[in-house]
Amino acid sequence: MSSIVSSEVSAGPEMNVTQAFLSRLEKLPDGQKVRDCIQCGMCAGVCPHGYAMDYTPRRMIAALRAGRLDDLFRSDSIWLCVTCFNCSYRCPSGIPLAERLIPSLREELLMTGVGVPKELQTAFERTARYGNPFGESPKKRDAWIKEAGVKVRVLKEGDSADVLWHVGCFPSYNKANLKDTIALAKLLNVLDVDFGIMGSDEWCAGDLRCTAVGEEGLFNLLYEHNSLQLAGRSFKEVLVGDPHAYNALSREYARMGTAYHIRHYTQFLEERIPELSKLLKKKIDAKVTYHDSCCLGRKNEIYEAPRSLLETIPGVKLLEMPRNKENALCCGGGGGAMWLDSFIWERTRVPLPIQRVQEAARTGADILAVSCPLEIPRFEDAIKSSGLEGRLQVREISHMLADALGLVGGV
Amino acid sequence: MSPGGIVVVAEHLRGELADITLEMLACGRELADASGSGLICVVLTSDPGPFKALPFASNKTIIVKDPILGAFNPEAYTKVLSHLLKDLSPRLVLMGSTSIGMDLAGSLSVALGATTVGNCTRIELEGGKVLVTSKLYGGKLTARSEVEQGMVLCVLMSGSYPKEGGTKNVVPEVEIRDSPVPLTGLRIQFRELVEPDAADVDLTKVPVLVGAGRGVQGADNVKALTELAELLGGAVCATRPVVDQGWLPRTRQVGRSGAIVKPRLYLALGISGAPEHVEGMKDSELIIAVNTDPDAPIFDVAQYGTTLDVQDLIPALTEKVKELKGGA
Amino acid sequence: MKVAVIIRQVPDVVEELVIAEDGRSLSEDDVMYITNELDDHALEQALILKGRHGAHVAAYGIGGSEARDALATSVAKGAEEAVYVPLEFKDRGDNHKLAMHLASLLRDGGFDLILSGMQAADQVDGSLGGLLASHLSMPYVGGLVGVDMPPGGGKATVKKEYPGGRIGVMDVTSPAVLGIQSSEQPPRYVPVSKVMQAKKTLQVKELKTPVPGVAGVHITQLQKPEAGARAKMLEGDEAKVAAGIAGLLKERGLL
Repeated sequence: MSSIVSSEVSAGPEMNVTQAFLSRLEKLPDGQKVRDCIQCGMCAGVCPHGYAMDYTPRRMIAALRAGRLDDLFRSDSIWLCVTCFNCSYRCPSGIPLAERLIPSLREELLMTGVGVPKELQTAFERTARYGNPFGESPKKRDAWIKEAGVKVRVLKEGDSADVLWHVGCFPSYNKANLKDTIALAKLLNVLDVDFGIMGSDEWCAGDLRCTAVGEEGLFNLLYEHNSLQLAGRSFKEVLVGDPHAYNALSREYARMGTAYHIRHYTQFLEERIPELSKLLKKKIDAKVTYHDSCCLGRKNEIYEAPRSLLETIPGVKLLEMPRNKENALCCGGGGGAMWLDSFIWERTRVPLPIQRVQEAARTGADILAVSCPLEIPRFEDAIKSSGLEGRLQVREISHMLADALGLVGGV
Repeated sequence: MSPGGIVVVAEHLRGELADITLEMLACGRELADASGSGLICVVLTSDPGPFKALPFASNKTIIVKDPILGAFNPEAYTKVLSHLLKDLSPRLVLMGSTSIGMDLAGSLSVALGATTVGNCTRIELEGGKVLVTSKLYGGKLTARSEVEQGMVLCVLMSGSYPKEGGTKNVVPEVEIRDSPVPLTGLRIQFRELVEPDAADVDLTKVPVLVGAGRGVQGADNVKALTELAELLGGAVCATRPVVDQGWLPRTRQVGRSGAIVKPRLYLALGISGAPEHVEGMKDSELIIAVNTDPDAPIFDVAQYGTTLDVQDLIPALTEKVKELKGGA
Repeated sequence: MKVAVIIRQVPDVVEELVIAEDGRSLSEDDVMYITNELDDHALEQALILKGRHGAHVAAYGIGGSEARDALATSVAKGAEEAVYVPLEFKDRGDNHKLAMHLASLLRDGGFDLILSGMQAADQVDGSLGGLLASHLSMPYVGGLVGVDMPPGGGKATVKKEYPGGRIGVMDVTSPAVLGIQSSEQPPRYVPVSKVMQAKKTLQVKELKTPVPGVAGVHITQLQKPEAGARAKMLEGDEAKVAAGIAGLLKERGLL
């Protein structure tokens, strides 16, 4: 089998290591497309951290062609990727750069135990042991339902519901997200949806932290557990609040043989706009700009549902940021980067979430609306760091809707 | 020594007596008085000078003198103590829950056929039985145990007894002896004691300390605490796990194996309150603890507390402090 | 150079500790296990010696079935040998018993060094290392933050921690038992896939020798600590609590 490694490179141990790596990469879905790279540099150009990488995706492939895998390991570039999918989206050869190339490189580093940032290590160890990256007890995963104020069914083995809501780690455990999780519960309740959660039987879905960082083993562990738990309940569809879980459950789980009818909550609620409209009680007089999260937007092309929901709320004037929809700027938290801010910000200029909130503020918006739980803490911190407090507010769409329906207090 | 006597094994470093010795003496004195038995303080050293005039609350002080005993060598100490204690045949031996006492407890236990109880916070004598209260799981559980007969070695945690109770206003009878056993052919040789880097801040001299524990969850969060610390005229310090992770240098460690501090204010952030750390800061004038776990042992030693998340509270507190300072 | 590491499984305090009906032990059903943190450091220190001098590392996993999982992780990290020492729930936390038991198992192993964490969360009595060393007539020193031993063997140089951040440097003639406080670098990460692989191919020697019938400390009661003088809790959201704390500081002249 021919390889992309240049035949001019003399056969040496480095080349063999590179060839071994490439043959593993090429076995992954679309992995062989790495051979079609035309070295155009589109990836480097659209990468939000491209300027800080000594090995942009283009140069990574060039290095591989020269049989120099080791050079890539000695560089920090591999850890600067935030898995925003811009590169994959634009690559004229359709190479799965963010989905396969970078994770494969990271997996090599993990396997050799070289240079895995400690914070990530801790997040992995905790996820493997407790099913969530915070290291909180799995028994406390559904503790939030006590404060929901509405009945949330916890489905045990053998139970059934129309909708199984995979809540997610951040929405279950992270204090900053709880109000939005509760808001969604209240919306489902007022819409008379027959739903249930798996409670402490639900584990992290594993995307992108595990898939993008090459912790395939951990992802498989989580997949085995979750798919077994899901198989024990009957439901017609799966609802997710977290776009990363959406990505995992709809793509990766299907690839591994377990396919469900999955919807993100924005899609689910969009279908129910007529009912929601009838229940509106309040106006939210505000200029709102919506941030397209990478997993929902660029990766899975869900652009309209969140916008339709926002436009349903009376008083909302929707403004668009220059970098919107498929051009949206990543919040910088994907692919394990949520745990790598220290590392990444030492090597880049203005942190991505700060750039993004400044862009949002420039539209004149009062509210930056989001549909991914990671964005709440990231943008809230960025707003404080940029001195935009009081001028701009971050709100999850579920919370805004629940507010407009009079189900929760304003923020 | 009369049967049922109590022995305290003193601890010292570089000629300075460690506070734990006085706490153990306070405990021993209380028990000796209650049971009418004698209390002996045993000091192993190369130079009796600093110790022979100390007004220990014991009935007697025995100083074993030998050049090898100048630095703490567990093998030498064990050899001397196993002989000495066999001779003295006490009911109860108190040792410190420190890097010194913990090294000795195990080997002495076997040599003397004694029961050992670790992490002790309280000891009582009742009808010939030794009743011990100790901590398990980093302070999350308390255990009570009983030893009906035989010698008992109790490893006492710092902060369990007031050190003032360890001294009185007279110097007890002092006896200086040579080692009961030749200290040759030792398999452990002490080479040198290395002082920590003098660079960086002297935590013991700073009036306000902002302590970062595991709950602070990350190197950059730790950095963010510096602003608050500086506003308050203080410095950031940390628990051992935070230092082990490399989020702060070892010179910032507070606790059993780090600095012992007594600032005017200690803000314990995301710190659970495990004994090793509490030992290092429990004497702070004002302790305010922030921990999302309402059962965290730190709330036993703090005067004020909150279960808010450190990440949420610190920005708000920093702003508030700026406000109040700006106005003043 | 042959190094043995003792790896104990202890109750994980992330889960709430439930006291059994007898009031003096933990409820076994409610316990989730985790490797004793300092034993993890001991393993890491052994692997560091392996990396430096090619030491042969034998991991001894103590406990129930979760101990076997810990052995798979140890092997995935680099241990060459895995030995499973079953220990019933009722016998745990008793280092006297464990030390006597391990002494008979380790005596003829030809180990230059035996490493273990200097403390375990569940221990009621003294450090395992000291007890074990006594039974094996080996020297013991604990509280270590560094260990090195030249490949020829014979003598280990150790760094022991003292209060105030001071370090005592000592030479210890081997064979010796060492109590680890923290490894020279934090315990390494091993990817889940490596652990899975190790689990599949794991060759474990199981030592079924009965545990000696010595009794350790007789516990009469186990309980949550008394409330005592607990902190006065400040209520409210961040703004309110921040104001409360700032107020306290102002009162005391700290602002």
